Amino acid sequence: MSTAEAVRTDTASTATTAVSVDGVDMDFGTGTLAVRDASFTLETGRFLTILGPSGSGKTTLLRLIAGFQTPTRGEIRIHGQRISAKPPHKRSIGMVFQRLALFPHMTAAENVAFPLKMRRHDPATTPDKVDAYLRLVRLDGLGDRRIHELSGGQQQRVAIARALVFEPDLLLLDEPLAALDRKLREEMQLEFRRIQKELGVTTINVTHDQREALVVSDEIIVMDHGEIQQAARPSEMYRNPANAFVANFIGVTSFLDGRFDGGALDVGGVSCAGTPVSKLDPGSPARGAIRAEQVRLGAPGTTLEACDTQLDGVVDDVIFEGERLVYVVTVPALGDAALRIYHHDPAAQDLYGAGAAVRVGWTEADLRIFKKTGEPA
Amino acid sequence: MISRSQRIVIWGLVWIALIALSAPTLVVIGASFTSGDIITFPPDGFSLKWYDRVARAGELRAAFFRSLWVATICTLVAMPVGTLAGIALSRYRLRFGNVVQVYLLLPFTIPLIGSGIGLMLVFGAWGALGNLWPIGVACAVINLPFIIWSVSSSAALLDPDLELAAANCGAGRVQTFFAVTLPAVMPGVITGSLLMFILAMNEFLVSLLLVDARTMTLPVQIYNSIRSIITPDLAAVSVVFIAVAAAAIALLDRLVGLEIFLKSK
Ligand SMILES: Nc1ncnc2c1ncn2[C@@H]1O[C@H](COP(=O)(O)OP(=O)(O)OP(=O)(O)O)[C@@H](O)[C@H]1O
Ligand SMILES: [Mg+2]
Repeated sequence: MSTAEAVRTDTASTATTAVSVDGVDMDFGTGTLAVRDASFTLETGRFLTILGPSGSGKTTLLRLIAGFQTPTRGEIRIHGQRISAKPPHKRSIGMVFQRLALFPHMTAAENVAFPLKMRRHDPATTPDKVDAYLRLVRLDGLGDRRIHELSGGQQQRVAIARALVFEPDLLLLDEPLAALDRKLREEMQLEFRRIQKELGVTTINVTHDQREALVVSDEIIVMDHGEIQQAARPSEMYRNPANAFVANFIGVTSFLDGRFDGGALDVGGVSCAGTPVSKLDPGSPARGAIRAEQVRLGAPGTTLEACDTQLDGVVDDVIFEGERLVYVVTVPALGDAALRIYHHDPAAQDLYGAGAAVRVGWTEADLRIFKKTGEPA
Repeated sequence: MISRSQRIVIWGLVWIALIALSAPTLVVIGASFTSGDIITFPPDGFSLKWYDRVARAGELRAAFFRSLWVATICTLVAMPVGTLAGIALSRYRLRFGNVVQVYLLLPFTIPLIGSGIGLMLVFGAWGALGNLWPIGVACAVINLPFIIWSVSSSAALLDPDLELAAANCGAGRVQTFFAVTLPAVMPGVITGSLLMFILAMNEFLVSLLLVDARTMTLPVQIYNSIRSIITPDLAAVSVVFIAVAAAAIALLDRLVGLEIFLKSK
């Protein structure tokens, strides 16, 4: 039996709606809406990640769900109840703040015990619960340290324990891993996943790290300029991005700008085989997107197997990323468009150097054609 | 890396500053141990006779205890008011925030003699003069900005989401204040309170206007003695003063740690 099962005694909930956000706007009076017409629902026990660039409205949306601010328009319900129905301290929401907001005058254990004290849990069980949750976040033995005597990653985990210890209905995480180094961050991502699975608590996590979103989530929402661009499961989001923004934000993607000719993408007279994603009028401006792992690469003059479009290119740059190489290949026929292409065996002998002539190609299914929107990717 | 010549210049400046700041203190301490009958530096021999004389001087001793009492009243009045004001100023968005900010500049803009006369008129109208407590309250009023600063700079260092975090943990507003905000700004409260104590101990100009023969505080008593004749016992009294201030700083160090005190500035 795991630690978490030992401390969490209530039964697993059935699939009901935990959070519903309906047509929410947030206007700070700055001229643009920080959140525009946001709607989604989240089922009990699921792990949702809100992903987006800086300033896209992620924190604003999370704080609205926490009830720290009131939306200008729309409604937020938690387990069917309006968030404003109860004052903040009566809600059952655990939150890890972007800057942690730990209580500086208390020890780690006192921080974790604080919610139990305030929520009038049985004082006799408090020490055991605090110990159990410190163990859950792997901080056993450090409970007596003051906050400033802990490392950044340890403080992080105190904040997580404090948010979980009173067994909230909902856990909100605002980029809690952003300040950590990559290795610790990746460890903590898996830790989150493990803890969340063990406790089964409904979780909303905010990040701008696409890898984190893909690794930890059951569902992802991508935001940009205050608007939800797409809501989907991670694999679905990766395979079928709804627009060029999402395609660019998740994965390594190259873009080709041209016109939709009714069946394919026309880039300066060259027809590129591809599949339209949105409904497109023939002749309208369009943008093709292709993943770095979907572009095939071969020696010049060869025929690439199963590729619907094949063109000559020149290696412009070779980026060594450790476990893989990224070739940047320019294609003169496409107006020197740059394609990024993965090569997954950097130890291989037959690598191309910068300046080498190559052949590139792709299948019709892999080049996705989007409606062209205003801003460049 | 700083070069050798830079190091010499920097240390030279540090020593000049240290000597300039401590010279008057050192002179007074030295003069207090003289065995002669007039106040001189370097002292004329060594003796503790002036301390003996101070300890026997009933007037000075009574004035010293009056000053302690005034400083205590001042601190007791300033602590709750200054703490609440300091927290309110930095943790909550205030409607009259600007007005309070201006008030905080008052000690530098209104001459003390002005505030002193004002307070004298107020307490005079109440018929409160002749007691010690009006002097303590007056010291609290004119020095309040110092404790407000101390508390609010301590509070400004806290995470802006601290109170929201407390609410998330289930603490209501009152609980949040007493269990989270107040303890977290304690270093500022202690620093500010000791500052108020020392300032009230040393307060001269306003006290001068408010005291009479029955409520003479130590600085006023010393001033009156100087007007007649300067004797080394005044140097000895000054040293006692310095010792009280040093004790307050030692206490501060024990309570909050000098490190936190310096960081909170
Ligand atoms: N209290 C506020 N008053 C005015 N504008 C605000 C306020 N809070 C946020 N904004 C604005 O709303 C927009 C969204 O901010 P938000 O903090 O939600 O972004 P974010 O996606 O969390 O960004 P980051 O990844 O940098 O944390 C920004 O343009 C920001 O300037
Ligand atoms: Mg944010």
